[in-house]
Amino acid sequence: MKGLTSWVAGTMVLATLLCAPAKAQDRATSGSESSAAGLDATKGRVEAMGEQVATMQSDLDKLKRFKFSGYVQARYEQNELSKNTIAVTASSVTPANTNRFYIRRGRLKLTYDSSPLSQAVIYLDGGADRAVTLLEAYVTLRDPWTPNHRHAFNVGQMNVPFGYEVERSSSVRELPERSKAENVLFNGERDRGFNLTSQWLPKLQTVVGLVNGPGIKHTDFPNSAPRKGKDVVARARWSQGIFDVAGSIYSGKNVIPMADSSLAKDKSLTHDKTRYGADAQVYYQAPSLGGGSLRGEFYSGHEANPDSVKSLAPGRVLKKGKNIDHLATDFTGWYAMWVQNLGERLQVAARYDVFDPNTDVEHDQYERLGTAVNYFYDGNTRITVAYDVPKTDKYRKTTKTWYDPQDNLWTIQLQHKF
Amino acid sequence: MNMKRILAAAALAGFIAGPAALAGRSLTIKGSDTMVILAQRWAEKYMGSHADVVLQVTGGGSGVGIAALINGTTDIATASRKMTQDEKLKLRDRYQTMGVEIPTAKDGLSVYLNEKCPVRELTFDQLKLIYTGKITNWKEVGGSDARITLYSRENSSGTYAFFKEVVLGGADYAPNCQTLPGTAAVVNAVAQDEDGIGYGGAAYAKGIRDCAVKRDAQSPAVLPNAATVKDGSYPLSRSLFFYLRKSPVGDMKKFVDWVLSPEGQALATEVGYFPL
Repeated sequence: MKGLTSWVAGTMVLATLLCAPAKAQDRATSGSESSAAGLDATKGRVEAMGEQVATMQSDLDKLKRFKFSGYVQARYEQNELSKNTIAVTASSVTPANTNRFYIRRGRLKLTYDSSPLSQAVIYLDGGADRAVTLLEAYVTLRDPWTPNHRHAFNVGQMNVPFGYEVERSSSVRELPERSKAENVLFNGERDRGFNLTSQWLPKLQTVVGLVNGPGIKHTDFPNSAPRKGKDVVARARWSQGIFDVAGSIYSGKNVIPMADSSLAKDKSLTHDKTRYGADAQVYYQAPSLGGGSLRGEFYSGHEANPDSVKSLAPGRVLKKGKNIDHLATDFTGWYAMWVQNLGERLQVAARYDVFDPNTDVEHDQYERLGTAVNYFYDGNTRITVAYDVPKTDKYRKTTKTWYDPQDNLWTIQLQHKF
Repeated sequence: MNMKRILAAAALAGFIAGPAALAGRSLTIKGSDTMVILAQRWAEKYMGSHADVVLQVTGGGSGVGIAALINGTTDIATASRKMTQDEKLKLRDRYQTMGVEIPTAKDGLSVYLNEKCPVRELTFDQLKLIYTGKITNWKEVGGSDARITLYSRENSSGTYAFFKEVVLGGADYAPNCQTLPGTAAVVNAVAQDEDGIGYGGAAYAKGIRDCAVKRDAQSPAVLPNAATVKDGSYPLSRSLFFYLRKSPVGDMKKFVDWVLSPEGQALATEVGYFPL
């Protein structure tokens, strides 16, 4: 029995051994078929994924033509002038208090790169002291003839190409505001027209343009051109790297509407508007501190005096005793500025700026010492603490003397740029 | 009132001190995709012998690295092209410096062809005509009658910018040129496409064939290798850069010095690039 069992067991083992390769072969055949099928399926899935990725890439390429950028400047200002009063003049109600939280700038810029040859920009600003406004809207056409498209034609509403301060974004400026001269001469910095920007050499750039003239912040003509002719503006800049020098020129005319026909035949007063500008910046490296720079800019010319509006009565009639020659006067303005980085995160800046709207009279000059400390919290966020000390002459009738009103200003600003 | 001011000042100081306190002895290296493998190998090897320093390496493209250098989110930008004038001015706007450029290795920019492509060499002019869409069929440059498929990098890539500047002379790429997110993707696309042509770092050239490049019709056709890149006979050789905001000091200086040392340069050769 034992031998039979052994024989049966032996036979079964032998049969198993004999059958095993055949079954393995079957399994191998079926396995290789299923592997091939699996491989085909995987290949199909990879190809399908490849097509999906190609479609997504195509969509992504289209979306990448849109570029959003912008920044927010949230600010607190404390002014020596502040009072807990509200001034009421006729129908106008003006809070005298200037200690306030507010949004100085809330800007969103959309750029669409249609192709290497054309681009469109729309730039909105929604500061708290005004409604959302269209700051810039222009189209750029680049020339197809030169390598790297060295010439660009811009048409629409954009920066007036004059001076260093105008072209420099408020998001990178070291002090909260531009100089007084720039604020008066190029209030809003933008106008409507066109310009041709040419990069003749890597370091030499010129811009020549034609604009309406009044600029986007002009009280009389925010949306229309008051004059048939247009103003011409041009700028040339040499950018060496450790120093930059540039010159600008602006030539046009101002039209001030007048109700009194005895002052001008066409019931308006036209006068020359000429501006010259020169600016330079020098950069240096302080070994233990970091980079620093010295900057200066000079403005000069003939222009509508900002006080001229005060010389006009509401009906646009010259006020009694006011000199019509002072509606447009020779002016000068300049500033000198120093910026020093202290390591990677800290920066200090100081600027002294002067604006004389009428070089022929005394006591109308504006001077200001502005200082600021910037702390760069991260790559996008900056905290600024600034202190401005303006000096202006006010006439005190009671004592018949000139004095400088108390109007120093503290500004604390948090900026986030994206 | 005084208590309010003290609390406000304390809160402000806390916010200000926070990021500085977290900075520690960590250095970030960001930028060129061409250099990302090389930078990773440098970082790994350096950290192996300097346990107290942490080096974080990421890619994204030379343009991305330089943008990060400008906004302060990286300590070192790696770039396979030189910084543009516009980028230098942006850096100057923030840091009052034009940056510090340090060449760290050399690379031969390979022109990739499929293994089955019969074309063996191309001149600069032919490459320019191909990539600007003026030549669209391989038979126009000695190949078979087949439409050429163009593969390129994205415009944030230093390789893209270098090729555009040196080979295309600043002209625009043809609109039908397919942009891919990395050199490996370009190599892969050309390896699978018999009619494809691409370009990228020599270290990535696996599974495809390098095309010999001629400066003009009379020049000899040269393939990229250590000898031709080093002696300058290969016309598409370029430097690979570190860009810093200011002259390096402390840990950064030690790392940069090590990269430029024989040990660091040997590692560059090992990865597939060429020493200075």
